[in-house]
Amino acid sequence: MSASVATLPLPKAAGVAPRSIRSATTEPAWVKWTLVGIALAFLTFFLFVPLAVVFVEALKKGWDVYLAAIVEPDARSAIQLTLIAAAISVPLNLVFGIAAAWCIAKFEFRGKNLLLTLIDLPFSVSPVIAGLIYVLVFGLQGWFGPWLQAHDLKVIFAVPGIVLATVFITFPFVARELIPPMQAQGTEQEEAARVLGAGGWQIFWRVTLPNVKWALLYGVILCNARAMGEFGAVSVVSGHIRGQTNTMPLHIEILYNEYQFAAAFAVASLLAGLALVTLVLKYWVEQRMKKEAR
Amino acid sequence: MSIEIRDLNKRFGATVVCDKLNLDIPAGELVALLGPSGSGKTTLLRIIAGLEVPDSGTVLFHGEDATHTDVRDRQVGFVFQHYALFAHMTIFENVAFGLRVRPKATRPGEKEIRAKVTELLKLVQLDWIADRYPHQLSGGQRQRIALARALAVKPKVLLLDEPFGALDAKVRKELRRWLRRLHDEMHVTSVFVTHDQEEAMEVADRIVVMNEGRIEQQGTPDEVYDHPASPFVLQFLGDVNLFHGRFGHGPGGKDGEVSYVRPHELEIVDTAEEGAVAAVLSQALTVGPNTRLELRRADDAGYVDVEMPRAEYLALRERLGLMPGSAVHLRPRRVTRFTEDLPDPAAMI
Repeated sequence: MSASVATLPLPKAAGVAPRSIRSATTEPAWVKWTLVGIALAFLTFFLFVPLAVVFVEALKKGWDVYLAAIVEPDARSAIQLTLIAAAISVPLNLVFGIAAAWCIAKFEFRGKNLLLTLIDLPFSVSPVIAGLIYVLVFGLQGWFGPWLQAHDLKVIFAVPGIVLATVFITFPFVARELIPPMQAQGTEQEEAARVLGAGGWQIFWRVTLPNVKWALLYGVILCNARAMGEFGAVSVVSGHIRGQTNTMPLHIEILYNEYQFAAAFAVASLLAGLALVTLVLKYWVEQRMKKEAR
Repeated sequence: MSIEIRDLNKRFGATVVCDKLNLDIPAGELVALLGPSGSGKTTLLRIIAGLEVPDSGTVLFHGEDATHTDVRDRQVGFVFQHYALFAHMTIFENVAFGLRVRPKATRPGEKEIRAKVTELLKLVQLDWIADRYPHQLSGGQRQRIALARALAVKPKVLLLDEPFGALDAKVRKELRRWLRRLHDEMHVTSVFVTHDQEEAMEVADRIVVMNEGRIEQQGTPDEVYDHPASPFVLQFLGDVNLFHGRFGHGPGGKDGEVSYVRPHELEIVDTAEEGAVAAVLSQALTVGPNTRLELRRADDAGYVDVEMPRAEYLALRERLGLMPGSAVHLRPRRVTRFTEDLPDPAAMI
C-alpha cells in the first residue's frame, strides 16, 4: 500500500514558493505587529505609566518622607483596619464560596439559578449602593438602628460596618472561581469515593477539595486583593474617622484631598505593591492549574 | 453473594427507566446487562450499587433486603465507564483509598496497606507505575487501576458500568479476555453493563437483554442467541433478514407472521424450489474470512444479505457463474418466526 503511494508524483504547483502558503488563520506580519503595537501603547499609557507615577511620586521627597508617611499613627491604623477587614472577610468568603460552589456544582435543586444570580449580585451592583444597603439596615434611621443603639452596638461608622461591606463586595470571588472546575469534574470521583466507603467529610477533604485547590487559591488571592482595595462601599459605611474607621484606600483619599501628595502616594504605593504581588501569585497559580489540567 | 431484584421501578420525570424488573443473579456468576442506550441497564446497575434509589421494589443481597442500605455499607466494587480515578492522587494512593478511609478500628496499618496495594497492582500487572498520576496512563491502564481500586475493599459484588466503552477496539478485546480470566480466578459475583452484544457474548456467563426499562430475555449466551424470546432480542444480537408472510420450510409460515433469517443461515441455490425466494445479486463484498452478498428480492425489490465463508463463495461463483445481475434463489437453513404486530425493524437500528 505505502509503496504505491510513494511512487505517486507529489503535486507541486510551479512558481508557488512554499513560504506564501499560510494557514487560514495566519495574518500578514504588518497586521500582527500593528495590533501588538496598539496593545502595547495602550498598556503603557493606561497601566505602566500610572503605576510608575505612583512609585515616583511616593519617593519624590526621599525615603524619610516616604517612611514617615507610612509609620505615622493614622496611616498605621488605616493599614491595620485594612488587614483586619481582609482577615475577617477572606476566611468568611472562603467558607461561603466553597459551600455555595459545592451545592451548585454537585447537586440539583430548585432555585439553583436564583442562587447563582444572587452570588453575582455584588458584581452587578454599584459598590456605593452596597454600602448604602448597610446604612439603611443598620444606620441610626435604619431598620435595626434603634435596637442597636439601645444595646450600645455600633455597626455603621465603625469596624463591623466596614467588615460587612467588605464581605458583601468580595463574596463572589471564591464561589465564581470554584463553580466552573467543580461542574466540569462532575460527581463521578465523589461517587467512586462513596462506593469505596468514604464519608461526607472524607470525600470533601480527600477528593473534592484537592481537585480544586488551585482554583480555590486563585479565588482567595483575588478576594484578598479586592478586600484590601475596596473603596466605594467602605467609604459609605466608614464615616472617615481618622485613626479609627479609615482603611488604606480612604486614608489615601484624605491625604490627597489635603494636598499631601507624597504621603498619599506613599500609602498608595503599598496598595500598588500588593497588586503586583497579587499578579505574580496569580500568574504562578495559573501555571500550576495549567500543569494539573494536562 | 447472590443478588435478587424484586418488582423494581424507577422513573426520571415522565420516563420509565426500570419497569417492574425481576432478576436473579446467582453467587459467583459474571452477568452482562445488554441493551441499547436508554434501556435502563445503567440505572439498574446504579440501583444495585446504591448510587440510585428505586421508586419501589427491593434489592436483596444474599437474601437480605439491601434496598435502603447506604452505598458505603453495601461492600460493592464499582468501575465507572470513564474510570473516575482521583486525578490528584498517585496510582498507589488511588488503590489505597478504600483502605485509608476506613474507620480507625478496622483500618489496616501502613505496612499492610502497602502490601495489599502492591499485591493488587501486581494482579492488574501495573505494579511498575505506582508513583504515576492517572493522566500519565493510557485508557486501558486506567481502567485496570480502577478495577484494582474497586477490588481493594474486598467487594462481595463487582459492578462495572460499560467498563470498556471508552477504549479502542484492540485494547477492548484484550481487556475483555483479561476480565474473564480474572473472574474465573476470583469468582466474585459480577455484573457489567454493555451495549456491545459481542462483548456480552464473549465475556458473560449469562446475558440479560434489556429494552425500554424491561428485561426482554435472560439466559446463557447460546440460549439467547439460538432461542431469542422476542424480535428485539433477535435483532439486537446480530444482523437479520426479514421476510413477511409465508416463507421457508417446515411447520408454521402462516400469513401474518414475520420470518427472520440470519445472513449466514441463507443458502444460495440455482433452482426454484418450495420455500425458496427468487433474488438478484447486486454485489459481493469480502470482509475478512467471509464474503457478504447483497441481493434484491425479485418480488418486492427488498434487500437481503447473505454471508458465507469466502471459499464457499468462490466455489459457488465457479459453479453458478455468479456476477452482479445473476438471478438466484435463496433457501433458509433456519427460520425464526414471530407474529406480525411488531415494531418497525428500521426503527430499531
